[in-house]
Amino acid sequence: MSKQNQKTRTIEEINQKIFKGDAQVLTAEEMKKLVESSGVEVAFKEVDVVTTGTFGAMCSSGAVLNLGHSDPPIKIQRAWINDVEVCHPCAAADLFVGATNSCEKRPFEYGGGHVIQELVAGNEVELRATAYGTDCYPRTAVKTTITKDDLNQFYLLNFRNGYQRYNCAVNCGDETIYTYMSKLLPRMRNATFSGAGEFSPLMNDPDYETIGFGTKIFLGGGQGYIIGEGTQHCPKNLNGTLMVKGDAKKMSPEFLQGAAFTRYGTSLYIGLGVPIPILNEGLVKKTAIRDTEIFTDVIDYSVMRRDRPKLRKVSYAELKSGAITVNDKRIRVSSLSSLKMAKKVSQTLKNWIDEGQFTLTAPIERLPLDTVFKPMRQTQEIPFVSNVMHFAVTCLENEEIRVIAERIVTKSVNHIVVTSSDSKLLGIVTSWDITRAMAEGKKVLADIETRRVITAKPDEPLESASKRMAQHNISALPVVDAERKVLGIVTSEDVSKLLGR
Amino acid sequence: MVRILLRLNENLVSEPIVSEVILENKVLVAILAAHINSKGGEIVLEVPDEEVDKIVSAFRQKGATVTVPKLIEVDSNRCFSCGSCVALCPVEAIGVTEDLSIQFNKEKCVGSVCNICVDACPARAINSVKFSNAENMCSSNVHREK
Repeated sequence: MSKQNQKTRTIEEINQKIFKGDAQVLTAEEMKKLVESSGVEVAFKEVDVVTTGTFGAMCSSGAVLNLGHSDPPIKIQRAWINDVEVCHPCAAADLFVGATNSCEKRPFEYGGGHVIQELVAGNEVELRATAYGTDCYPRTAVKTTITKDDLNQFYLLNFRNGYQRYNCAVNCGDETIYTYMSKLLPRMRNATFSGAGEFSPLMNDPDYETIGFGTKIFLGGGQGYIIGEGTQHCPKNLNGTLMVKGDAKKMSPEFLQGAAFTRYGTSLYIGLGVPIPILNEGLVKKTAIRDTEIFTDVIDYSVMRRDRPKLRKVSYAELKSGAITVNDKRIRVSSLSSLKMAKKVSQTLKNWIDEGQFTLTAPIERLPLDTVFKPMRQTQEIPFVSNVMHFAVTCLENEEIRVIAERIVTKSVNHIVVTSSDSKLLGIVTSWDITRAMAEGKKVLADIETRRVITAKPDEPLESASKRMAQHNISALPVVDAERKVLGIVTSEDVSKLLGR
Repeated sequence: MVRILLRLNENLVSEPIVSEVILENKVLVAILAAHINSKGGEIVLEVPDEEVDKIVSAFRQKGATVTVPKLIEVDSNRCFSCGSCVALCPVEAIGVTEDLSIQFNKEKCVGSVCNICVDACPARAINSVKFSNAENMCSSNVHREK
């Protein structure tokens, strides 16, 4: 068979071309356009490598540091860098800086992700450590400043990176929530999504044909390696992840950026790019995937449970258009990962290969295709609102205050829930409201009821409902369903009874 | 159109000074945002370019503090163009350009009376400008933030 008509090529052949400077490299974006305009056969003939990229908040990230020994030596027990606590999981002078650990003095604003970015940038950071002291490691405290040049090893080590795809988040509740999917306004006033869609590495090789253990990658502006599947890797669900490692001393702060999520914590945005060798026409088809073919779920993050309701399926094409529709409501949506930086990652990786600085590796082992992401085994259940809520004493809006006062006495409750004739929540009145109405001579319920009612959902943890009561300085929450139909009421007494058990 | 920010003290909040200024000067003024309570208030107004000086001095005569606010400061060195802020903006002042950069439209932004995007920026690149900044105080010759 002549070379022109061959149906496969090998990584060795591609590397030979890279050495000679005549390998044809396209970014994922360019590849999709080529396949669309010229077809699979032409694209296979013309293209050797496709570069992918993502730049997202990767919370499950960190860095391994080896400090060397102090004199006298110390077996570090606890340590802090720029007041961010870092783990000391093993021997005397090895540390792990976790991206989500917050600074004690600036919680949620500065954390492990920022420490890693500062070290990568060459900045000096302050290290403090304490220990109990042993015969071989007598020192009990150390305080010093360090830069990356002072470290023996400085490796970025991420347990889970490069999510194949991720959720789209909305908030159907009544209050703004702050999550790792950023700020979500109440009643679905915005949506966020993560992942680069058609630029995403694993989406361009969904069977992990070329991406595996030992694949050399772009990581944080330097080179790194895939060292296995990431934690929570769930390929059957198209939720594959990667565990990666790379020399952080050679990375760039442009592609590793510390991030702060209000009331969630800190994280680290990481540029990750994987080259996909076009070994056969099957890989041409795979790398031609478009955002219109990649779907994810719109998830209601106001439900404080592991399994949150999925509202609909949505394509990355819709997500990237800036707005989606859920239950006939148009919701503006924005990306949480940087698509601009994702493209920059794939372009930079392409340049490296074009310039012969980066060659491809064949995986020494495939990523697993059959692992699943199991929930935690729990030996103790926590209480939910539905476990303690009870029957709510209600009234209609046109009832007289005197009648309601009688009901408070006969039912011996402090809260009366105001409903419509079909049991929908309209307001709430307390015994205090009634007392005041009597004192002030008010007769109409509408003048005294509270209409902006803070509510609870039956399936939310009691702890979060109780927190909300404390936050708003109130002592009861009507429990409502999605249509605001009153199901019951939960009071601070219910909470204290449960705690007192 | 020029945006101006009025600050009213507790004595002024009960006075209809916006209506008075509009009627006395016969100028159409758009109220973009208002935050008022018994202790005082902030009102963002949009005024036609050629009428700014007249309107500003009219409000000052009535005792209001008037500034031409620089509403939001975006540190482009910190912004890595994620876009978390885009869908949050109630007046659609934040957009995505063709090269996927994030662009603030200062003409549309209503500033400190909104501030929704400020604490949602993971790069902490968005800062709301506090109006205690004397540099933003309006002079009789009003220049607009470009």
